[in-house]
Amino acid sequence: MSTSTTTSRRAPLDLLSGVWGGLALTSGVALTATSGWLIVRASERPVILTLLTAIVSVRAFGMARPFFRYLERVRSHDSALAGLAGARTDVYAALIPLTPARLGRRSRSAVLSGVVDDLTDVVEAHVRVRVPLWSAALAATFTTILTAALVPTAGVVVLSWVAAVGAVTALGLHLERASQPVLGAARAEVSRVAELVGRHTGELQAIGAEGEVLDQLDRAQVSLDRALRRQCRGRALVTGGVLTLTGLATLAMARVAVEADISAGVAALLVVVPAALADALLPLADAVRARARAEQSGDRVTALLDQAPAVAGAGTIPPTSTAPHLRLDAVGAGWVDGRLDVGPVTLDLPPGQRTAIVGANGSGKSTLLAVLARALDPRSGRYLVDGHDVLDLALDDVRDLIAVVDDEPHIFAADLRANLVLAHPKASDEDIVDALRVAGLTEWFAALPDGLGTRLGTGGRGVSGGERARLALARAVLSRRPVVLLDEPVAHLDHPTAAGVMRDVWAATSGRTVVLVSHRHEGLDDVDVVVDLSPGTKE
Amino acid sequence: MKPFDPGLLREVPAIRRPIALLAVVAAAQGAAAIGLAFALAGLVTDVVAQRDWQTSAAWAAAAFLVRAGLGMLVDRVGATAGTSVSSALRRRVLARWVAAPSEARPAPERARTLAVQGAEAVEPYAARFLPALVAGAVVPVLAVGALFVVDPLSALIVVVTLPLLPLFAALIGRTTEDDTMSRWRALEQLAGHFGDVMRGLPTLVAFGRARRQVDVVRAVSEQHRAATMRTLRLAFLSSAALELLATISVAIVAVTVGLRLTHGSVTLHVGLLAILLSPEAYWPIRRVGAEFHAAADGVTAIDSILAELNPPTDCPALHAERSEDVQRRAISRVVVEGVTYSYPGARVRVLDGVTLTAGRGLTVITGPSGAGKSTLLDLVAGLRTPTNGTVETERTHYVTQRPFLPDGTIADAVLLGSPAGTTPADAWVALRRVGLAGFVAGLPEGLDTRIGDDGFGLSAGQRTRLALARALLSDAPVLLLDEPTAHLDTDATATVLGIIRELALVRGVVAVTHSAELVALADEHVHLDSRRRLPEVAPA
Repeated sequence: MSTSTTTSRRAPLDLLSGVWGGLALTSGVALTATSGWLIVRASERPVILTLLTAIVSVRAFGMARPFFRYLERVRSHDSALAGLAGARTDVYAALIPLTPARLGRRSRSAVLSGVVDDLTDVVEAHVRVRVPLWSAALAATFTTILTAALVPTAGVVVLSWVAAVGAVTALGLHLERASQPVLGAARAEVSRVAELVGRHTGELQAIGAEGEVLDQLDRAQVSLDRALRRQCRGRALVTGGVLTLTGLATLAMARVAVEADISAGVAALLVVVPAALADALLPLADAVRARARAEQSGDRVTALLDQAPAVAGAGTIPPTSTAPHLRLDAVGAGWVDGRLDVGPVTLDLPPGQRTAIVGANGSGKSTLLAVLARALDPRSGRYLVDGHDVLDLALDDVRDLIAVVDDEPHIFAADLRANLVLAHPKASDEDIVDALRVAGLTEWFAALPDGLGTRLGTGGRGVSGGERARLALARAVLSRRPVVLLDEPVAHLDHPTAAGVMRDVWAATSGRTVVLVSHRHEGLDDVDVVVDLSPGTKE
Repeated sequence: MKPFDPGLLREVPAIRRPIALLAVVAAAQGAAAIGLAFALAGLVTDVVAQRDWQTSAAWAAAAFLVRAGLGMLVDRVGATAGTSVSSALRRRVLARWVAAPSEARPAPERARTLAVQGAEAVEPYAARFLPALVAGAVVPVLAVGALFVVDPLSALIVVVTLPLLPLFAALIGRTTEDDTMSRWRALEQLAGHFGDVMRGLPTLVAFGRARRQVDVVRAVSEQHRAATMRTLRLAFLSSAALELLATISVAIVAVTVGLRLTHGSVTLHVGLLAILLSPEAYWPIRRVGAEFHAAADGVTAIDSILAELNPPTDCPALHAERSEDVQRRAISRVVVEGVTYSYPGARVRVLDGVTLTAGRGLTVITGPSGAGKSTLLDLVAGLRTPTNGTVETERTHYVTQRPFLPDGTIADAVLLGSPAGTTPADAWVALRRVGLAGFVAGLPEGLDTRIGDDGFGLSAGQRTRLALARALLSDAPVLLLDEPTAHLDTDATATVLGIIRELALVRGVVAVTHSAELVALADEHVHLDSRRRLPEVAPA
């Protein structure tokens, strides 16, 4: 799994931040211990010179603590960010073969946004879980050795105390883990309703559903509150447990200090040590929470990445022609195992033919288009390109022949030029402007403040639904691929504009193979073949 | 950026209680820490003096117990206080938006971001930063007060050195402010890049550009790391400097105590107390600074949400001008008089002096593309407010050109917005009337089949008919339909025309259409002319 390779690659760096963190915490414990000794010793009015070593140590520990803490924070954040960079790259590469068919049949962009957040959680766990844990372990080890060297029973007290804290932490982690799924679901529900209202306010007003969705929001927020109450038990257990156990350890230490044959200074040192080490153990409460969260996020990413691609990429033969002859031979296909959404269909698409796929609503036209686009393998029958079964042909090369105008075109946070040129990297500005004209965007383009340099997408100029569809069309036109697949390309445009765009589409794609799926009648006069997909099917 | 905006308490009264509770507990925690210092000092003194130590040990253990209890309480209160605040803010802002016409609302993307991520960013602010702020204000005062009683000289040292911390922090902040702002902006862009290419992955895969992006992702992530680390180094350095400053201040206290101890001018108990109490004055202030970094997003989000709750200009509320005295014209259910509309910021009028009266029966609106037909329906539905003129209407239900179906089951979609008490049986009746009952019954889970955002898996025609089923269930006396037959095949069109004719017998139906068949059914026909789109002569 790519995420785990990332983890192992980062482990040595994390160890170092654990060491720095441990030294910072140890300095803190040492500072308190030495100060305690020093004060008591000073109250015995010795010759000042005998205190010099202790005074110098106190000073050194006092300065070492912020110094090591700085090193730890820089190191751990740097390694976490490096881990994030690695994980992002790996997961992105791993998702490519799963796109689009395995990202779910709906709201793919939401699935992908979820992955972004989950990855951050997983990688943050390095800073928020491992480093505090190792630092605490190091400081506890030092404290155990120091106290054992002074009075062996004191070492036993520290060791038992730390072991008890470890047990409480494990129990806290268990509680946090158990509450995580409920909490995740409650949070997701709040986000879902908030997004629903925020994004579709007008549509909800249109159908008079304002009150209903606000009620939904209230219900979701109440369950979130309940889930949080449940979840905080784990963290609270660790906080309360550490402090209660520290009180007991202080009691035990006082007893050891009274009974042992030691100097007053050492006795003072032993009594204050538990309180000092408690500062190193309290962050474990936060670590427990971060750990439980990261585990769940990691599971989600793994579940997504563990799917088999919807297309086998085993073929190696390059397609021979630049004007391919496509043919579907009794092809059946489906998105989920065990269910056929379309087929069997036989369809002949010689180069340059314009085909419209029509048919009753929901008869699998888009599924068929996904097969043609090589996003989905045929479940039965054969899909031939120039007589070769596509399963034997190199996947990327076949896809390079086909331009798809899909139902979720993404506008990148980049300028207009970059948004189009991705369809054809060698295109000149003239080509781009021409493609915009063909897609019916001339007027829109003329109104842009910075022409092709105008920034679109997040943080840039807003793009309406119709403009978005036209930009997708412009990409397809610009790509110059010999096969163009159009999935309801003018669904969002009004009638005269739709007719105009379709006219331009046919003009711009002359000589190319075009497959059009549409419910509308605009442009159907210009096609060579109309395929009614499922004449016998009724809804 | 203000650390605390009192406007928050004014605007969202629901959050007063959780915030007050957090403040009280945070202050109690500080007091408990001071109590613990006294107990520990007593214990050490007794152990060193070899006298009865059990009593003071019991006090120390009790002090730890109290701190444990308070710590658990903080976890408990903090866990829900954070969401109480974010939930209350989210509720307020969404309630405002659903009651406002589109001119008075942010763009959908921004609305979504504010309601989801923005409100969530408030949680750490309320759960962690606000308690830290209270502790920062209360605990140092308590510590210094206790110190004055115990050892005035040490208290004096603390009082003199304490202001150095905020002063120093402000100095660091000022010298790096400009730099930080520009870096934040660059950082935001870099951080957004990965999300952008992820959401665009299907598009990139379609054009064979995804693999090339792998290296870009790597490179930008590395840039993001470098840029973040530059910012973080500075933040960590300044926090280390503050910690050092606090350590030195405590050391000054320790040195004077030590000297006085060797001279015998103070007792061990007093000396210990001074040393244990003085750090309690410094760390709460350092914590405010540390938590503020984590809460900065929350502060920005609160600013934005409060700005939404208090729009700068007086925006009319939804339905505000839609007087209820329509009854006075009993026959007319929709009265549009001399309505003019131009989109916010645009100079061109989409509608100019449009007058329309619609009663029971079917009124169709036709006209060329761009004549403002859909805008007119938006105005009647109250989704937009006319620039000039008036709209009076009874309650409307509006089926838009691309009807909205929520992410959920078919039942959710059909029943959304329907009157209370509508049952799945009613939904089946409505589905049968629009000719979708067979299709839904044939789905594996029937009414409970999930459909996605915008109804993935449904064709445009099925979406339209689902929306019509929803319109049938609504009890609004006026129905507005935008191109109801646009995506339908011949059979479905016949079904829908039949439904519209039936509906027009009892309700007012206003439909925008290109369909000659629908126009033929109409009782009234209004033709909008695109020549009305005159540029405004002198914008006010």
